Amino acid sequence: MISIVLNDEVVTVSIGTSLVKVLEHQAIELDAVALALNAEVVPKSRWPHIVCQQDDKLDVFSVVAGG
Amino acid sequence: MALTDQAFMQYSRQILLPEVGEHGQSRLSQSHVLIVGVGGLGNLAAQYLAAAGVGRISLIDGDRIERSNLPRQLLFTSDDLGGNKADVAAQKLMRAYRDCHIHCYQHYLTADSAATVFNNRYHAIDLVLDCSDNFAARQLVNQLAIEHKVTLVSASAAHFQGQLLSVNQQISPDTGCYHCLYPSDMSVSQTCQTVGVLGPMVGSLASMQALMSLNLLLTHDATAELPPIAVQSRCMDSRQLLGQLYRFDGAKFTWRQATLARDPDCTVCRVHER
Ligand SMILES: [Zn+2]
Repeated sequence: MISIVLNDEVVTVSIGTSLVKVLEHQAIELDAVALALNAEVVPKSRWPHIVCQQDDKLDVFSVVAGG
Repeated sequence: MALTDQAFMQYSRQILLPEVGEHGQSRLSQSHVLIVGVGGLGNLAAQYLAAAGVGRISLIDGDRIERSNLPRQLLFTSDDLGGNKADVAAQKLMRAYRDCHIHCYQHYLTADSAATVFNNRYHAIDLVLDCSDNFAARQLVNQLAIEHKVTLVSASAAHFQGQLLSVNQQISPDTGCYHCLYPSDMSVSQTCQTVGVLGPMVGSLASMQALMSLNLLLTHDATAELPPIAVQSRCMDSRQLLGQLYRFDGAKFTWRQATLARDPDCTVCRVHER
């Protein structure tokens, strides 16, 4: 197991867990969020292909459209 | 273009900044900014840019002023209720800032009306500010900014969350576009109508949007015109601002920054690849 930081909270995941799996485990609706990994936005099409590393910092956020 | 004595006095606190100077002030006076949406963001962003001496501002909004707008759309008062937002804002700003030419379009930006707005033969648009209040409009503004090769500065606010980003496919293609970050098929829940917002929350984002816009106007292709030392010491570089997403939490008072990334599968910026 490795630990990552998801929106400021430490979360433990198995080695080899992809970004998309992390979101699924956390019951986060994939269609409603964008994601930054270590302060770099990762386009949604890349989520299944990127595997979490120890101490990765994940920020998951929704679009804000108001003005 | 030389500044008049009056302009020199009026903008002296800006001109004092080495990053602005007379050259920068003159550049602002020759700039044309399009502001899409004249609600909470558009009101304040337009006022700051007009007050800073931006020479030409086009405002576009089909919406009418309602009483519930007054806590955050500070150009409007109860005497203006029912008026068109772009029209009323343009009249007030023209009265207050005589150096600024303000044009208003009293309709919403649509794919059909875009040609008239963007293809201004006499005054090319230097910057588009997305100050709209819904996801569909934001997607359209992004698409049009890419089509017309104009830098987009997009700000938004709802609840205690605010977001700000700027993109330009010519200067910073690797950081992609608004659609790379937020594909148009994603589900969106927050708007000011459904979740509420405090006036200064919108105002904070509008101020940052105006500040980013001034930075971008001052640094766009400025490198060639500045002496080398000035280039080195310049704290502003359009490439540092472009392609960054800034998120503000107005309840916790935290700012977060992330670098945007181009989605190779994006259907919007891929089509217009250089
Ligand atoms: Zn894109």
